[in-house]
Amino acid sequence: MSQPSLTRMPIGGLVALDVPRLALMMLAVDPALRGVALAAPAGSGKSALLHGMRELQPDLPWVELPLGCDSEALLGGLDLEATLQQGRRVIRSGALARAHGGFLLAESCNLMDDGSANTLLGALEDGVVRIEREGLSLRSPAEFRLLTSFDPSEGAPRAHLLDRLGMIVMMPTIRAGEARASIVRRHLQPDAETWSDEAQLLRGLIESAREQLPRIKLGDAQRRELIRTADALGVQGHRADLFAIRVARASAALGLRDEVQREDLELAARLVLLPRATRQPEQSASAPPPESPTPESTPPPEARDEMDSDSKPLPSEEELELAEEVLESLAVELPDALASLSFARQRSGRSGSRGATSGQRGRHVSSVPGLPRGQRLDVIATLRAAARWQRVRTRRRQGIALTSDDFRIKKYRSKAGALFIFAVDASGSMALNRMRQAKGAVHALLEQAYVNRDRVALLAFRGHEADLLLPPTGSVELLRRAVDQLPTGGGTPLAASLVASLEVAEQAKRRGFGNIVLVLLTDGRANVGLKADRSGVDTEVKQLAHAVAATGIRSLVIDTQRSFLSQGNATQLARALAGDYLYLPNAQGTAIAAAARQVASA
Amino acid sequence: MQQTFPFTAIVGQEDLKLAVLLSVIDPAIGGVLITGHRGTAKSTAIRALADLLPPVKVVTGCPYRCDPTEHSPDCPHCSNQATLKSQIQAVPVVDLPLGATEDRVVGSVDLERALVDGVQAFSPGLLAAAHRGFLYIDEVNLLEDHLVDLLLDVAASGRNVVEREGLSVRHPARFVLIGSGNPEEGDLRPQLLDRFGLHARIKTLHDIEQRVEVVRRRLAFENDASAFVASFDKEQSALRKRLQKAINAKPKVTLPESALMLAAQLCDRLGIDGHRGELALTRAAVALAAYEGKKSADPELVARVAPLALAHRLRKDPLEPAADDERVKRVLEEALG
Repeated sequence: MSQPSLTRMPIGGLVALDVPRLALMMLAVDPALRGVALAAPAGSGKSALLHGMRELQPDLPWVELPLGCDSEALLGGLDLEATLQQGRRVIRSGALARAHGGFLLAESCNLMDDGSANTLLGALEDGVVRIEREGLSLRSPAEFRLLTSFDPSEGAPRAHLLDRLGMIVMMPTIRAGEARASIVRRHLQPDAETWSDEAQLLRGLIESAREQLPRIKLGDAQRRELIRTADALGVQGHRADLFAIRVARASAALGLRDEVQREDLELAARLVLLPRATRQPEQSASAPPPESPTPESTPPPEARDEMDSDSKPLPSEEELELAEEVLESLAVELPDALASLSFARQRSGRSGSRGATSGQRGRHVSSVPGLPRGQRLDVIATLRAAARWQRVRTRRRQGIALTSDDFRIKKYRSKAGALFIFAVDASGSMALNRMRQAKGAVHALLEQAYVNRDRVALLAFRGHEADLLLPPTGSVELLRRAVDQLPTGGGTPLAASLVASLEVAEQAKRRGFGNIVLVLLTDGRANVGLKADRSGVDTEVKQLAHAVAATGIRSLVIDTQRSFLSQGNATQLARALAGDYLYLPNAQGTAIAAAARQVASA
Repeated sequence: MQQTFPFTAIVGQEDLKLAVLLSVIDPAIGGVLITGHRGTAKSTAIRALADLLPPVKVVTGCPYRCDPTEHSPDCPHCSNQATLKSQIQAVPVVDLPLGATEDRVVGSVDLERALVDGVQAFSPGLLAAAHRGFLYIDEVNLLEDHLVDLLLDVAASGRNVVEREGLSVRHPARFVLIGSGNPEEGDLRPQLLDRFGLHARIKTLHDIEQRVEVVRRRLAFENDASAFVASFDKEQSALRKRLQKAINAKPKVTLPESALMLAAQLCDRLGIDGHRGELALTRAAVALAAYEGKKSADPELVARVAPLALAHRLRKDPLEPAADDERVKRVLEEALG
């Protein structure tokens, strides 16, 4: 028996990864869950876990997708060589079709280019691959389950793709010393025999759970509870509702029970609903639910009877309580989920291109038909395009017959660095807290600045003006010196901060930065204007915000307002900036950094 | 055969359903754009459409399914025939996958015959397949620009001209373009937006009872598709009959002067350029009248379809806080006094 390699450890051999493992088991039990995405930093064992599925389901097709594979590898196409040799059409099937009935492993789905991601999610949804390209029209079945992973610090995958997967697991970082030690020990002294026993055990469990699944009872109240939780978290669409119900049942089945219990519902909420949240639930656990009438407005009994007869039944106390309990169990993880996954984005009318494929530098991502006027010709792709027509054309000419239809030009995706401008509200009582968040975020960005060729600038605003604490830099050292001492308190000159940001951005533009992201940490309540008196402050801010948007700066407003009552200022600001809005009163710097990087790469 | 989820089993999303049904009644309205949240029955509704469409008469043997009652000078098949036989066929709903390349959309040299026999023969593309039917593009906002331009061109002219590989083919291609997408994933180009007759915006349902019903029906469908589809037979056939009746009644529906005036007034007050807005609006009102069994498309019907027909044509005003459909409703109230 061969030694298990470091990245391919049997699934039974991992420790402290119970929830992710459970997710994989549930996917094995119910194929309608479609897939699992593991969100975790590099080196946390996610790759090993995903590969472990192969041992749980050894008899099913297994296809691994290399990173950066193109649409043709996914879809398949004409096997040119065989076709020309045999003089008849020979089709080479793509990864999606080969995975039919089994599993498709595609790691780092956040780094996948848009074209491939779209192809993948289309097939995932329909269970069919449709090819309409290069003279071919084909349909082949492709019902597969997708196993994927991503490192949130490298940006989140497209929400569209994630939405089609049943479960999204935000993996815990293993902190406990013993668990870490145990992982290392197992890597160093693999005990293949124990593992194979364990894998066998798990396979047996999957078998019995699959038989149990149709018999699992899920009550009406439980169903409502999940849907109510989804609604409270602002989950978009109805796929999640269905997935949550399926997860709850699969979880009960794996527990070899015949009815769904509290823990199953909580697991469903954690794996399906929480990652798709777009907002924090509006009411706290103690506040009365909005549906129940307040004492003052309670109508007299006779009027009430009338109302009840034609209005929807009020949710039962018990039902609401259940939904609240589920929400409460998620409270700790919610802020991170909102920050690091792409579901919470509120795009407000951003227009223009994403600036993805352009220019002559960067990574060659695809080749498209077109004449090579000032662009690089992709010789291989051009010859491939020409090859299929040779039989027709050589009747007329000698040698390789090329026509203008064959030319393929290369498209590149360049990876120019981005400039992140952090503008931090240093006024008011929460200033220190915001500054800490900003410092953490800047630090996190700078740590990767070298890789991405990014620059970060930091400015603080209070009283009547904005101070540039840190001009655009890639140095962590400068940051440390810049923000050691900072005065806080006083008025909120939002307008001044926008002017200062514009100045920094203009300078950076002249030095060639095309991708500029403004991250504003504020509660959004401006009260000090540039020229305007108090009553004109809002208009002034709005006009300046439009100016920022017009110069092509992308913005992310982080709302640090703690009270829900006065929310809305920062939302309006984000809208005026045509930017993204995130409500993150207590986020970690790293979460903010991840959100900012996502804006830069959107 | 794979079963499709019945149209009549879709919960809520009335705007979406109405927009789609109106363009079945009158294809000349100019297509439907559906935007909204992920997972809100956008594709489900369109895929369900095929089952509702009343079949049509086509020329026997014509690869483009021409209408035998209409002279089609562009058709390579029918324009050379003295007499045309006809047969009944289903109306196509063609799905354009995102990875599609231009040659398969417009049609190209038949690859197999080129490779095997060395012969150049035209193999019709998706545009030909969609003639007299519907062409559906999911994630239309992600479609490559050159394909979008091509589609708009053909949709506007009603015919497809292919000049490649020494082939020179033209054929009729009149279809209703239906696009769907999530604007959060990338905006639609304004030129494209304006070409769609109606625009339905849909949202996640927030009514818990409705959401529960969505899930209940979906689970029932996934559990036993045939039984579920059968349980909606009655509704489906009723809707099919109603559509056929509306299609027959539409030519007789009158459009009173007052309704025309309202349409013109709305477009003027909203500052809509060109006349596509008025045309789509009045056609939609006439189709709605036919659908509801009314003889005349009164101003009240114009008002009902106005948000669908006009909201996407407004010029973007960064200082305007209200959403586009709110603006249409506001102007409607003003116009109606």
